[in-house]
Amino acid sequence: MDQEQLIRQIMAQVMATIGSPSAASAPAGGQVTKEQYPLGEKIPNQIKSASGKQLTDFSLEGVVSGALTAEDFRIAPETLEMQAQVAESVNRGAFSRNLRRAAELIAVPDDELLSIYNALRPYRSTKAELYAIADKLESQYGCKINPAFIREAADVYEQRGRLRVD
Amino acid sequence: MRSKRFEVLDARPVNQDGFVTEWPEVGLIAMESPNDPKPSLKLVDGKVVEMDGKKREDFDMVDTFIATYGIRLEDAERANAIDSGDLARMLVDFNVPRAEVVKLTTALTPAKLTEVVSKLNVVEMMTAVSKMRARLSPANQCHVTNVKDNPVQLAADAAEAALRGFAEQETTVGIVRYAPFNAISIMVGAQIGRPGILTQCAVEEATELALGMRGFTAYAETVSVYGTEAVFMDGDDTPWSKAFLASCYASRGLKMRFTSGTGSEVQMGYAEGKSMLYLEARCLYITKGAGSQGTQNGSVSCCGVPAAVPSGIRAMLAENLIGMCLDLECASSNDQTFTHSDLRRIARAIMQFAPGTDFICSGYSSVPNYDNMFAGSNWDAEDYDDWCVIQRDLKIDGGLRPVAEEETVVVRNKAAKVIQALYRELGLPEITDAEVEAATYAHGSQDMPDRNVVEDLKAADNVLKRGLTGIDLVKALARAGYEDVAGSVFGMLKQRVSGDYLHTAAILTKDFNVVSAVNYPNDYRGPSTGYQLSDERWAEIKNIRKAIDPESI
Repeated sequence: MDQEQLIRQIMAQVMATIGSPSAASAPAGGQVTKEQYPLGEKIPNQIKSASGKQLTDFSLEGVVSGALTAEDFRIAPETLEMQAQVAESVNRGAFSRNLRRAAELIAVPDDELLSIYNALRPYRSTKAELYAIADKLESQYGCKINPAFIREAADVYEQRGRLRVD
Repeated sequence: MRSKRFEVLDARPVNQDGFVTEWPEVGLIAMESPNDPKPSLKLVDGKVVEMDGKKREDFDMVDTFIATYGIRLEDAERANAIDSGDLARMLVDFNVPRAEVVKLTTALTPAKLTEVVSKLNVVEMMTAVSKMRARLSPANQCHVTNVKDNPVQLAADAAEAALRGFAEQETTVGIVRYAPFNAISIMVGAQIGRPGILTQCAVEEATELALGMRGFTAYAETVSVYGTEAVFMDGDDTPWSKAFLASCYASRGLKMRFTSGTGSEVQMGYAEGKSMLYLEARCLYITKGAGSQGTQNGSVSCCGVPAAVPSGIRAMLAENLIGMCLDLECASSNDQTFTHSDLRRIARAIMQFAPGTDFICSGYSSVPNYDNMFAGSNWDAEDYDDWCVIQRDLKIDGGLRPVAEEETVVVRNKAAKVIQALYRELGLPEITDAEVEAATYAHGSQDMPDRNVVEDLKAADNVLKRGLTGIDLVKALARAGYEDVAGSVFGMLKQRVSGDYLHTAAILTKDFNVVSAVNYPNDYRGPSTGYQLSDERWAEIKNIRKAIDPESI
């Protein structure tokens, strides 16, 4: 590591402890608003990836050296919650609800997520199968909003005759 | 005996277009069908029990979703009670700020908002678009495709399109198995023309998501929704599956928007006798309710249907405006070919081009018509100079910049070389120097040598089997000595960790700073307010290739 890189790294750590100098650190209550947006530019020291890596530690060198892997380039639930708060601060309630559903789904593996999407398509699933998916999301991944959403879908599909009939 | 005048007229391009008279019973009517429901809304204990003349017990799946998620109920009773004419005047009146209008329009029922915009003529609608567009500055999006799915040409065209100013680029495939190759080509190529370009690959829903998860795309757009339950079933989805899909994208830090457009329901045979605009409004309420940040709409791939009926081009502008009234990013179509007439081409485009939208075209074909795999576009590579001259003539920002031949050749050559090196590093089929040379100077795939398709497809399958990701591309680019390009691809992937570009109408600058409707909201309040061309931008627009200095004569 050359000297400049070393200084950069030290500076990043210092910044992480004292907060960004350009105003815009998150208020004490933990709520963020459009004032902190873009979060990656204004409060990068408060952003971590799902794997726990600090956004301020992200660098091309990190990728090349193998210190950062594909798994590190995944958004964290806490970040999506902050983005949901930003959305609320500009009166985009429906969008913020989507971000909160998304925050719960970060823990669900890619293949499983794709299979749940396919199960929600018309005539793919029985009501029991959809309810079972909801139960699993609840018990295995601690989801709260998505299970209710999927059960609601199952009920509507039943009413409209869009479930799979064996 | 025939009139010579009429013989001449019959031979004109416009008379090769298809036109039909209205037929409201089957939904072959752009706006204001006699069968469209009258607006109504009844709430009991905060729950919708009647919407647009239908009781809750009679709701179909689409009604239920809209009533549950699509309407902002807090202000609904007050907003729906306002006279539609008054609301229409508010849309046009620049003394009423956008934020105040949006508070009302997001609380209206679909039939009410349809009635409101139907009060406006196209000039009033354009005025409203100037105010209601979500992002302060307009931008543009292009298609990058070719009939051979040639990866070298894709990269070179992506680089040139980025240099020309497109903020987003979209590819698709001739052969489905080419999808990972095409996605990689435009993602890498675009970064060479201008860092920070968002790219996508339009394929089947689940595949599109999988490509995004791997880091081969930055956003998705072809997430289609429909205005009647029957067409939704034909499209193999439901409002719930699509809403879930929206959350899947956000959970991976990927930007996405939904797609819909007038004419799709009548084209698929289930319009229930409703006007195209009313059904499109329902699509937009589903989009809103699902929590998508934006829409691609404006008839899109069904353009020929509304274009054939009276007031159809007006309906396309009206549907863009409805999207904006719902506070959605609007990528306003202007893509699929719909006419033989150059006059109609521009008449259709000027509706969005003059006021400016979040993405005026979605997209503009950056390749010749024969290479456009989205069934052609209203604007092609051959029209680049026309677009730039019109920007200059009208002093408007259509998102493009005039470029010089020399700089264009340079970025195309670099993109072709980078893809060559990337393929070498990843062990993909060889790209020859002859292909690099051809792509550097090509106009279209007719100028490109053929590749071994069987070998390419095997390698593309293998890219998926090996589990390659965007990170592997960054590493390979760095190994090949293209640290700058590696840095740009890294910069794109890093965006998904902070998620700032998930927000409404977000694009990235060349320095990877986010510009969206959150930090740059449209604040138009009449003449000389809102987005203004900077001196630098105006100088750029003025500087077309063919302008001569009068002093030189």
